Parts: sequence; C-alpha cells; structure tokens
Amino acid sequence: MMTSMFVTTIALALLAGPLGCFVVWRRMAYFGDGLAHSALLGVAVGLVIGMSNQLGMMLVAVLFAVMLLWLRAQRLLATDTLLGILAHAALSLGVVAMALLGVEDAEVHDYLLGSLDSVTADMLIYVVLGCGLSLGLLMRLWPGLLLMTSSEELAHAEGVPIRTYEFLLMLLLGVLVAAAIQIVGILLITSLLIIPASTARLMAKKPETMAISGSLIAAICMFSGLPFAKAIDVPLGPAIVTLTVGLFLAVLTGRLLIDRLRNAN
Amino acid sequence: MSEPLIEATELCVRRHGGLVLDNVSLTLGERDFITLIGPNGAGKSVLLRHLLKLESPNSGTVKHRQGIRIGYVPERFQIDPTLPMPVRRFLTLNNNQSAEAVEALALEANCGGLLDKPLANLSGGELQRVLLARALSGNPHVLMLDEPAQNLDVSGQLQFYQLIDALYEKRNLSVLMVSHDLHMVMSSTRQVVCLYHHICCSGAPDSVARDPEFVQMFGPEMAQMMAVYQHSHAHDHTHDHEHGHLHEIKP
Repeated sequence: MMTSMFVTTIALALLAGPLGCFVVWRRMAYFGDGLAHSALLGVAVGLVIGMSNQLGMMLVAVLFAVMLLWLRAQRLLATDTLLGILAHAALSLGVVAMALLGVEDAEVHDYLLGSLDSVTADMLIYVVLGCGLSLGLLMRLWPGLLLMTSSEELAHAEGVPIRTYEFLLMLLLGVLVAAAIQIVGILLITSLLIIPASTARLMAKKPETMAISGSLIAAICMFSGLPFAKAIDVPLGPAIVTLTVGLFLAVLTGRLLIDRLRNAN
Repeated sequence: MSEPLIEATELCVRRHGGLVLDNVSLTLGERDFITLIGPNGAGKSVLLRHLLKLESPNSGTVKHRQGIRIGYVPERFQIDPTLPMPVRRFLTLNNNQSAEAVEALALEANCGGLLDKPLANLSGGELQRVLLARALSGNPHVLMLDEPAQNLDVSGQLQFYQLIDALYEKRNLSVLMVSHDLHMVMSSTRQVVCLYHHICCSGAPDSVARDPEFVQMFGPEMAQMMAVYQHSHAHDHTHDHEHGHLHEIKP
C-alpha cells in the first residue's frame, strides 16, 4: 500500500509539474476543470462497457477534446461558453448515469473529492504507464509547445504542426486527469495542476526550472497530504490542495518581501 | 535568370463573401527587396501568410524553391507574462543554436545586451530586434516582415529600417516587408508593390508615387509629398514599372 502510494505520487507529480505550467501559460484552467467534470461520465462509460475507470475516462476525455475543438472551429460561441456547456453537460450526465447504474452516493463522493482507499495496486499500472508515456511524449513536444505558447504564428511559420500539438496537449491533460482523479478528486484536480505551477512561477526565471519546481512542489504536497488526511480524517483531495495553497501563500509572501526589499535599496 | 525563391500565381482569397486577394501574382527572386504597401484591410498580411504557405488560397498557387528557408517576423507578438522566457532561451527554442551562434546573432540584430532579460519585459523596439534575431537564426534565404516597425517611435523606425538595410547588404538574402511607414519606404529606392486586394502598381517609389491608382488611394497630397520625398533622394529612374495585375520583378 505504502509503496504503491509512493510510486503513484511520484508519477503524478512528475507529469503535473510541466503540464500545469502549460495550463497556466496557455490559460487552460477552465479546460482542465471541464475535463475533470467529464471524468464521472467516463467512469459510467467504463462501467457500462466493462472497461477500467481509467480507460473510460480517457475515452470521454478524447471525446470532450474533439467536441470542444470542433465546436470552437465553428466560431459560433466563445470558447469558455462552450467549455461551460460541455463540462456541465458531462458532469450532469455522469451523475445521472451513475444513479441509473446504481452506484452508491458514497462512491460518487469519493470521485468528487478523492479517497485514500482508491489507491490500489491494480490502478498503479495505469498510473505509472500513463504518466511515463505521457512524460516521454511531453518531453518530445516540449520545444515546439514552448514556441507555440510564446507565439502561435511564429511556431506555425517555423513548421510546428500547431493544431496537432494542441490536441496532443489536451490528450496529455486527459491522461493526467484520468490518473489523478481517484486521489485528488474531480472537484480539485485543476488545483493540482495550477497551484504548484503558479508557486513555481514566483521563483523560476526559465520555463524548464518552472516545470521542474512545479513537479517538486506537487510531489511534496501530495506526499505530506497522505499523513495529513489520515491525521484529521478528511478526504485526500482537500488535504493535498490545502497544503499546496499553504505553500503558495508562503512563497508569495516571501517573493513580495524580497521585491520590497530590492526596491527599497 | 535563376529560379525564383517564391512565386505566387493568380492568388484569389475569399473571406466573408468578398475577395481579399484578387488575382495577385508576385515573384520574389534572389537579392530582391520588396516592400508591400497599401491601406488597412488591403490584404497585405493575408498575402504574406499565403506566401508563407500558412494558409491555402481559394485559387492560384504559391511555389517555394526547393529547400528554401524563410525567416519570419510576425505582426503581433505578445508573450504571456506567466511564461518566464529569457531572450537567450527564446533564441534557442526549437532549433539547435549553439551558445556562440546565439551571441553572434544577437550582436548582428543589435540585441546583444538583452540576452538575459525576460522577453515579457522588453520594449517594442527591443522585442522587434529579438524577433529579427530569431528570424535570422535559420540562416534564411528570405526575410519576411509584417509591419515590423509599427509600434516604434520615429527614431526607432529609422534605426530598425537601417538595421534591415544593413542585414540585406551583408547577408545574401531577399527581403519582403509589409510596411505602413510610407515616408520611410518612399525615401528609399527599393522596389515597392502597392496592394489593394489586387496589385495596383509596382516599381520604384517615384513611379509608384505618380501612379494614378496610388494617387487615388492615398490622396493627391500624400502622393505629392511622396514624390517630393522620393525626388530629393532619387538615384535611379530606370526601374521597370508596370500597371495591372501581373507583376514580374526583373533582376
């Protein structure tokens, strides 16, 4: 139990750091949230066609990304409106489907907020495999993704297939959501992406250092979240996120103090 | 005559029911220096994007010479301040520039002192020079710039155009530039192409300034001013000048 928890945490944190950076840089927080909301529907789909939760969530995540990109290309409504529609449609459908399938409320609650019991050896394979492959792909795409995040037009002109890259980035987020949801929970998964990355932003001067610091911070918080959640008997998600927020506030205070001192001199 | 670097033939581009580009043909050969002028909404940026093959036209073709390398300075560039990106890192992004090559490029584009600054903190002029350094990093045959000096003050504009001129003289490259700065463009002797959905006129600035379509587009006063501008700098009146849709540049 302890070992699988350890490995899961490391794998998730390694991926959450750099992916969280892109969520912050490219303003994809709402997209991450939408993806997370669709996860419940993914679990339901998994139950119906007899797949694992993770595969069901990935399937729905792909669908979610494809529908979003297609709707966005129609240029009829703003992207955040589309995301709102898709996210809440998926969440409602998910809750309805879970109820129809006879899943207990307590289990739905676990999906929403994350649970310690959900970390099993069975799940470990998906998490490690998914995160490992995703991290490999992300490192391959890294220079092109960074260039298109600096300037989409420049990246396009220099031959980066920007639409493909954008879609792949969405898929990577889908993998992370599917892998992390049972630990952190649907409601809080985006914070695992953006709070460590934002904390890292306060210290980093280069994109790579921001990504690595983000991973470190995520690892530390997820790690200390375990005993913290046990000690005060709360779900794992809120425990972890409380720690990331605490760390963020500490670093923010430090940064502001340093800036003030520098300006005073 | 060597094979042209970029050759656009009879481009037509439709947007929102109207023709943005109407039968536009343009050839860029080796060592050409063409400035594209025209009022807002004339389709200049659209033409550039098609010449870069970033978009496909409704009809017509764009041909690139085999193995052509194009350095591009986009019209808009605004980096998100949450992305910490020092200039040095930006210049090595997605290419394999060595540290020495980056230093040399920065010197050439006159941004050597900026290498360790974050991209988000640069002024308009500094940013343009950094983008120019990046455009040069692939050792391009063609430099394409979309209104590179629009956010600069007058002295900044002058310096930037002088920098482009110096690069053109020093490096073996062709330049294709969109510009709004008529006073700069018309005081040089470079080739000018005036676009308003179709190519209205082209040639040396002095002949363009006297062209009826140019006069109609920018008004007689502007044309008069440009002609005077040009006259005080005039060196060469033998440029070819054609009127109409088909545009050829002779060596």
